Formats: sequence, structure tokens, C-alpha cells
Amino acid sequence: MIFAAPWLLLALAALPLLWWLLRVTPPAPRRETFPAVRLLLGLEATEETSAHTPWWLLALRMLASALVIVGLAQPILDAGARLPGRGPVLLVIDDGWAAAPDWARRVQAADTALDRAERAGRKAALLATAPAEDAGPPRVTPAMPVADLRARLAALRPKPWPSDHAAAVAALQDWHAPGTAVVYVSDGLAQPGDADFSRTLATTGPVIEIGSVVPEARVLLPPRAEADRLIARVAQAPRDAASPEAVVLAQSGDSRSLARVSIVIPPGKGEGEAAIVLPPELRNRLARLVLEGQASAGSVALLDERWRRRPVGLLAGDAAAAESPLIGQLYYLRRALAPYTEVRESDLGTLLSRDLSVLILADRVIAEGEEHDRVADWVSRGGLLVRFAGPATAGHPDGLLPVRLLQGDRQLGGALSWSQPAALAPFPPDSPFAGLTVPTEVRVRRQVLAEPSADLTRHSWATLTDGTPLVTEATVGAGRIVLFHTTANADWSDLPLSGLFLDMLRRLVALSVGVASAEDATVLAPAETLDGFGELSPPPQAATGLAGDAFAGTPASPRHPPGLYGPENGRRALNLGAALPALRAAAPVAGARTELLGTVPAERALGPWLLAAALALFALDLVVSLGLRGLLRPRLAAVALALLLVAPSARADELADRYPALATRLAYLVTGDEQVDGVSRAGLAGLSDYVNRRTAATLADPAPVTPGEDDLSFYPLLYWPIVPDAAPPSAAAIASLDDYMGHGGIILIDTRNGGSGEGFAPGADAALQEIGRRLTIPALAPLTTDHVLARAFYLLREFPGRYTGGTVWVQRDQDRANDSVSPVVIGGNDWAAAWAVDAAGQYPYAAIPGGSRQRTLAYRFGVNLVMYALTGNYKGDQVHVPDILERLGQ
Amino acid sequence: MSLAAAAFGRSAPRREGSAARRAEALAGRLPPLMVAAERVAATVAQGVHGRRRVGQGESFWQFRPFVQGDAITRIDWRQSAKSDRNFIRETEWEAAQTVCLWRSGDASMRWRSRAAVVEKAARAELLLLALAALLLRGGERVRLITGSSGNAAGITAGRAALERVAEALARAAPDAALPPDNALPRHARIVLFGDFLTPLPEIRTTVGRLAAVPLAGHLVQVLDPAEALLPYAGRIRFEGVAREFEALIPRVEGVRAEYARRLAAQQQGLADICAAAGFGFSIHRTDAPPEAALLALYMALTVR
Repeated sequence: MIFAAPWLLLALAALPLLWWLLRVTPPAPRRETFPAVRLLLGLEATEETSAHTPWWLLALRMLASALVIVGLAQPILDAGARLPGRGPVLLVIDDGWAAAPDWARRVQAADTALDRAERAGRKAALLATAPAEDAGPPRVTPAMPVADLRARLAALRPKPWPSDHAAAVAALQDWHAPGTAVVYVSDGLAQPGDADFSRTLATTGPVIEIGSVVPEARVLLPPRAEADRLIARVAQAPRDAASPEAVVLAQSGDSRSLARVSIVIPPGKGEGEAAIVLPPELRNRLARLVLEGQASAGSVALLDERWRRRPVGLLAGDAAAAESPLIGQLYYLRRALAPYTEVRESDLGTLLSRDLSVLILADRVIAEGEEHDRVADWVSRGGLLVRFAGPATAGHPDGLLPVRLLQGDRQLGGALSWSQPAALAPFPPDSPFAGLTVPTEVRVRRQVLAEPSADLTRHSWATLTDGTPLVTEATVGAGRIVLFHTTANADWSDLPLSGLFLDMLRRLVALSVGVASAEDATVLAPAETLDGFGELSPPPQAATGLAGDAFAGTPASPRHPPGLYGPENGRRALNLGAALPALRAAAPVAGARTELLGTVPAERALGPWLLAAALALFALDLVVSLGLRGLLRPRLAAVALALLLVAPSARADELADRYPALATRLAYLVTGDEQVDGVSRAGLAGLSDYVNRRTAATLADPAPVTPGEDDLSFYPLLYWPIVPDAAPPSAAAIASLDDYMGHGGIILIDTRNGGSGEGFAPGADAALQEIGRRLTIPALAPLTTDHVLARAFYLLREFPGRYTGGTVWVQRDQDRANDSVSPVVIGGNDWAAAWAVDAAGQYPYAAIPGGSRQRTLAYRFGVNLVMYALTGNYKGDQVHVPDILERLGQ
Repeated sequence: MSLAAAAFGRSAPRREGSAARRAEALAGRLPPLMVAAERVAATVAQGVHGRRRVGQGESFWQFRPFVQGDAITRIDWRQSAKSDRNFIRETEWEAAQTVCLWRSGDASMRWRSRAAVVEKAARAELLLLALAALLLRGGERVRLITGSSGNAAGITAGRAALERVAEALARAAPDAALPPDNALPRHARIVLFGDFLTPLPEIRTTVGRLAAVPLAGHLVQVLDPAEALLPYAGRIRFEGVAREFEALIPRVEGVRAEYARRLAAQQQGLADICAAAGFGFSIHRTDAPPEAALLALYMALTVR
């Protein structure tokens, strides 16, 4: 602990004087009229000495005075050591991406250093080692008063690119100030120019390095797409000890987490990975992977089209032979596509009825008529139709081909031919296959020939060495048709046997969603970039476009910040982790005094607390003094104390909690799903309100109950929405519910999955079955208009809720023990949602199919249900009125 | 009645003002004052008997045989006719005595502490009137000494005289701390009520003057309990009622014993003065019941 104004402590020397003054100055006397004052006249001189302030009161006042003095001297706890030197303080901060996860602690550490500099009256300068947003190199600010520098420090944000120590060294060359103290807030990651940087820092002045033992920063490497999974990879500087597991969230574009995996990086290793398995539809919606708990540019891996799965439909002309190993039409295709994409095989109608990115037809002729129309329609809507030629296609070219084919095929080589099997020519530069190396051993022995035309070359993506096209394409509407002029098996060519076949298919499938992802030199403009904390934001001014083929090796920098580039329909992601060297922990700066980040507690000024304590003591002294002089009225003090301590009056809902029997109220089972519980609550509140307005029943606010814990006997009706993934009710809960039903209670069980709402709560029916197995539910029958429930208040023919049409089940048999009142009503019409009223008096949940009539009927069913619960089968007797009247008449 | 007595006891100090207002205040205050005094007197009268001596008086005392020398007119013929002898009817001795009564009307008397129920002056007046009632009932003559007009009340006797005494008492102006130098009948009795906190020499002079008339008498010191005990604590500036003195006591607890010693000395001095002059002396505290003080006073007067 230090004092910011130590000279004020000299005032403590005056305390003895204060002691003396307090001793010799007695309190002001009380005045009393006294007739016998004459007898007192001579007494004062002899007794005066005993009338001083009590010692403890004196000590109290001395303590308070001492507290004031010490408080004004501004004691500061955990002030840390003095900064060396007498000149300016140079604050060097690594503000690259690795500083972002614990940025607040870094700023606080820097702030603490500035506090020390300010106390010593020293100026300070700031050097942020990462390149600035305007792509300028790191620069040292001029030495300025600490108060001015604080504003700059507060404005400093971590950058989404690494810090650049080599550039920082250059910046430090201009720094010449004697007596400099260097405070270096390090992110702990090794960099190429580190040795030079350390040396420069050490020569600038004595260094205090603030950092953590091991670098905390982790980076999410670009994930690897595999057949049915995405492999998330996390890298960090290797640690000796076990590191906490990294949790990766797979998020969709609207930041909802679709999957969550945890990755454990073993000690000594710098990288770990885990698979994210998702259904293809969900996987295609993934927009990024996020490392939980760390907000930095490195903890976000943006996904572009390269990671999305595209369902591929396969169909062969000869379905029976297509399956044969090694010679089947689909054999090679399936093996090439299955590892990285989803392959579907079915008939054409089934394939096109689902979402399909690519349809591959291996020597299958598309019949004229409806089949042709369907496929053409699908292609024009954006589908990619890939066709392989074959004997059938050669014989009967149909309309859905990119080029007109000559009848028959062309055989290269063979016993009766002069020609040799042809090799592949290099791919033309505008082809999606551009850049793939052509293996020399691939030979094409047979092909179908395109009718020569002027623009045939334009339609050719691949040709043979003799110039005949091997792969041709044509754009149809939003889609494309691609034709391989050879077969998909090894009959006509070696192509399916080569690795090139795989790459070509992969490129084609990548092409399928319209991404012209050919890695050409097209410059893609930045669209959205990550900031230092991993949030997508508009690109900074200095960001410039990046050539499409440069994404793989470009490190993140102010010119190319990590983020999404390219047009809306063809975004490419530049990730920080893609081009980052392996993370290593940096060596500490030689000769530096190290302080651990986070272990350096923030300075705490004790002054205000001491002054407050002194104030409290003075207040106590006031009270005591008043008491000593007899001016403190005990009764008054007691009243004041009582007013102070008066407990807030018990709230009404607490009363309801404690005494649920005070009013009649509906109740709902707490499912644990907040949203469902909220709907139940709002629904029952709306129904209670409706019942109060329409009937003589008076219902209080609905109560949430947990069977097995709460006493259910106070509630006439229990609403139970079934939540599929809820934990099954405990044995105590089941017993409690059974007891409730056995003693006159009614449970309305709602699967929220019936009638027009079928499918809205998948799994609820199964959950209901599971519950029904354990619960004592009597034999059920559909609720008909003859049932009392249909005429307890309103005469109802249907019983809709939010959905309508679902069958409602009630007890089948008359049970005299329970007055024939069904203990359970089961349905799936999601009644609570129909009854729900929000704070504004609106209905937050639309009825399906809709209409105010449906909602009115839903409320009427609710009223009938409440009446049924409250009056039992009272209305049931009314059913027999005609019979009774008839009997009376006779 | 007790309520009325209490009301009297708590009566506000007399105020200066127009005669009419004072008369009105008097009219409102007199009956309870009288009643309270009568009540106290009646309580005391039960325990006291007559003089039991033959003498001038109205009530029958005894018959005795006629002896030579007795006046013939004194023979009770009705009694004598019952026998052969002549009897003389003797009456009980009745010696009407003038009792002068004085109470201090000093400002210090019109004060009470928080612990006391009544002011000292109120208690002194109650005792005075009760004593007067007793005396008048006994046939004595009562004279109220007031400072304002030497002999204003005059000597009164008879039952109705009590009201006149009370009226005179109420009308009397604030008085000095010691009785005035009035002309008093010789061999009368005098009873003085006051707090007698003035210096002893003054009291000695006054009492000596009264004894020289000659007068026999009794001196009753009426004290507030606070004056007797000094129940204060802490640092207090004491002031006299008339602001004549001021004493700053830094710590009252410390002087309590010394004060008690001084008070005892004052009371001893008073007792010595009274003994020297042949006066009786008693002390009454306003928190004690007035009946006891009146009984003691009455006994003291009767014995002499």
C-alpha cells in the first residue's frame, strides 16, 4: 500500500493537540432551573476536573480524525512496484487477434501502469504492435500526459490480424528518450521478428512484461469437409499441462447454434479436432464455426460454399448392370462422390422431388414428354445436370444435351483403326477444371462426337488432344447441362480410373450452386469482414479485393482482413486460421521483469472508504454525544429504528404461493421448457380472464405446479403440455398425478401435435405414450357431442385450440366413484396457445387454419372445461331432463 | 375529590392581571381548594381528642358538688333537684388561641421538578389551608400574614372564616422569602411554610424577631424531591428561578454528596434556630402525602 499524498500524513502529528483540545473542551452544558442553586454555588471549583469527555468517546473521535487524515492522504492498495527510470513511460501493447480474448484484462493492466506513471508525474507514449486499420505500420505516439493517453488507450481495439513485431521494431527506431521505462503487454505468441523486437525493447529501457504463463489465444483452423461430417480444428500454442477443452459451436447465418462439439487438445500438442455431424440440410445452412468463450477473429471460421454439401442424384440407364463392381455405370461415380458429398440413388421422379444440387445421369436417355419437361424445368431452376455418354445416348441423343451429337460413337484405336486412343488436352483457362493437372496416362478410347459448330469450343470445358470435346456444357435458364462425351465406367476411357475424375466431379459439384468457384484471378471485393472480437461488420476503408486464386495463401492483414469476399451469390471466406503459422509461445523479453496478466490486481483507492468510515464514526459520535447530554429520547430513537427496520409488506403473490387455497385457480405443469411454460401461463391467464367475464366463476391467476413437490389438491384443472424432450416425470410425480386424478382432479394433456398442427411437435405423441404407460389412465374414447364436456356451458360440436380437427379423448366408461367425471382429457390442439393473451391484449399465436371463429370456439371449449372441472357432471343430469319430464307426466 | 386536589396541585402559577380575571380564577379554584383542605383536615381530626380540662367553653365537662365560695349562679338547678346536694355544672376549658399562618410566596416556591407532582407553593398553601380548617374547627382564631398589606386578612374565626382565608391567600401578591415585619399579637402561635433556602443569618434574625414578640411557633420547610436529592447527571448549568444565581456544575454526579451535606447543614441550622427560639421545625417533601405533614404539624401545635 502506498500513499498518493504522503505529506498529508504529517497532520497525524497534530492528533495529540486534538486530544488535548477535546479533553479540555467539555460539552456544552444543559440548562436547568433549580431553586436551591445557592447551595451549589461553591461546589463547581472542586469538582470540575472529573467532568471531561469519557476516554472511549475521545478515542472514537481521535480514530475518526485519524481516518480523515489517512483518507485524504489517498492510500492505494495493490499499487505495485514503481516504474523504473525517470523519463516517459512507453506502453507497448500487442493488439493483434491473439490479444482479443482477454482484451479487458490487458487494457486494465495497461491502465494500472498508466496509474503508476501518472502518480510519478511521468509522460507516457503508446505503441500498438499490430498494423493499424488504415494499413499503416505501427507507430509510437508522442509522449503525452497520461490523461491524454488514456483516451487513446480506451479507443484501442484488438485487430483481426496478427501483430507485427518486425514493423514495431522499425517504429521503435525513432524513439529516443532517456530514462524510458517500457511496459510491454504481450500476447505471448511467437513471431518471426521476435528476437530483434526483444533486443530493441531492452535497449529502449528497462522492460516490464505483462503477459500470461501460456498464450491463451486459440485459433479455429478452416474445417475439413468429409463425407458426412465437418471436422472442426482448433490450434493453440502447445502447453505442457492439460488445457481446458475447446468448445466449437456450429452456427447458421442468423447466429443460431446448430451443433456443439468439444475438442480436447492433449498436452504438448498444438492442434485438436472433432467431427461435427449434421444432416445435410442443416449442414448446408452452416455459416460459421465459433470457438465458445473466446471473442477474437481467430475464434471464428467462416464457411463458404466449399464446406456445404450438395446432394447428388445418381441414375444409370441400365439400373441392373449399374451396380456391378468395377464395370457398373455408377460404380466409379459413387466411389468418387460419396466421400465428400451426399449421394442419392433412386428413380428420376423421387430424385427430383427432393432438393437436389446435381443430377448425374450415366448413359440414361431422357424420355420425351413429361420426364423431359420435369428435368428441363429442374435444370432451368438452377440444377446441374451432368450426363455421361454411352451406347444408349450415342444411339438416341435426346433434347437435354449441351451440344448436338452426331449419331453413333467414335472409336479411337482398336484392331481395325489407325488411330490411337487419345489423351486429354490441358484444360482451357475458362473451364472450371482449369488448374487441374492432366495425367498423361489417361486415354479415351471411345467417345460421342459433337456436331461441329462455331461456338463448340466455347461450350467445351475439356478436349482431347485432337481437339474433339470431351466435356461440353450449356447454360439452360439458371442451371447448366454438362456432358461427358464418354462413359462413367472404364468401358470407353481410363478417365474414371484416374484421380482427375474425382477432382473434376468435385469441381462440378462445387459449381452446382452457382458458385463460379473456379479459382481464377477474379478479384473479389470484401463484403463483410470480422473485427477484432470476431463480429462481422462492414469492411474497413483500407480493405481491398483479393484474387479468387489467392485465398489459400493470403494471411490476414489490414488490406485483406478475414471475412467474406465476393458477390452475394458467391461468397468466399478468408479465415485468419487459414494462413497462420503454427502457434508457439514466445520467449520472454530478456532481462524484463515479468508480471502475470490478471494476477496483478487493480489498484484500489482506499481514501473514499476511509472517509466514509470516518463519516460513520462521526455520526456515531453525534449519537453518543446526544445520549451523554441526555438529549436522546429513547422512545424517539426506537420509533426511528422501527421505521428503518420496517419489513416490506408481504406481497400478494407470496401470499398466493403460501396459501393456494385462498382462491380458485387453474394450474399448469412446469415442463422446464421456458417457452412452453410461458405459453401455458399466458393461455391459462387468458382463459381465466375469459371465464371471469363470461361466467359466475371467479378464477385467480394460474399457478405453476410441479407434481410431487406441490400439493395439487387445490387446483380443479391441470394443463399439461407434452414436451418431447422433457425429462420423464419422476415416480413421485406420477404418484402425485395418479392421486390427483383419483380424487376428482382433471388433467388436460395437450400434445400440441394434432389436427391441423400435426408435425409441429414431433415426438410429442411418443412422449405421451411413454407417460401414458406409467400413468393410471382409464380407457379412453373420442369426445363426442353427447359428452357432458360438450355441453357444460356452451353447446359445442368441435373442440379446437390453436389447431383444429384433432381427436380429443376422454374416459370411456362411466365411473361412479368419480361421479363419471373423466379424470383426463387428452388432445393435441394446443389450447393454451389459442387462449394466450399478451400484455398488449393481443393474441400472440395465430390459429391454424385461422379465423376468429376458431379462437372463440377454443375459448368456449376452455369455458366448458372449467365448468366441467368445477361442476362435474351437473350438466349431465340436464341431458336426462326430457326423460324425467316424460316420467313425471305419466 | 382527589382529582380536584390534583387539579389544584397542578394549578398554574398565579398570574398578574386585572382584578376581574383574578377573581374569576379564584372562583374557579376556591371550592376544590377548600374541599381538599377540608379533606386533609378531617383525616387528621379523627386521631385528636379534646383538651379534657375544665375551663371556659360551651360544651359540658362535669358536675361537681357545690362548695363554699362558688357563685350561686353557677348551680345547675336541674341536676341539683335530683338529689339533696347542689351541683355545679362545669364546662370544658376552651381557650381560643390566635394562630398566625404564613407561607412563602417566593418565586422559588413556584417551581417543581419533573419528578414532583405539585409545586412547592401549592403544597404549602394546601397545608396552610388544611391547618386553618383544622384550627377553625377547633374554635381557634386564624390570622393569615401576607406581605402586601400588613394585616389584610385580619383575625378570623368560625367555619366560614376558611373561605376568607383562602380568598386572602389567593389574592396575596408574591411574597418575600421570609415573613414580613408585621405587628403580631403577643403569645399567639405562628406557623411558617417555606423552603427556607435563604442564608441562615437572615432566618435567624426573622425568627428571633418573632420570638421576641413573644410568639411560639412552628417552621415547616417544604422541599421538592429534586432539591432534596439532586437527581441530575452530566454537565449542567443551574440557574435560580429568578435568575439571581448561576452555577455551572461540570459533573453533577460528583457533587451530589457534597450537596446533600450542605442541605443537611442548612436543615440542621434551621433546626438549631427553631430550638433556640422555642419553635418547632419539620421538613416536608412534596412527593410525600400532605396528611402526614399535617398530622405532625397539628400534634406539634396541640402539645404546646
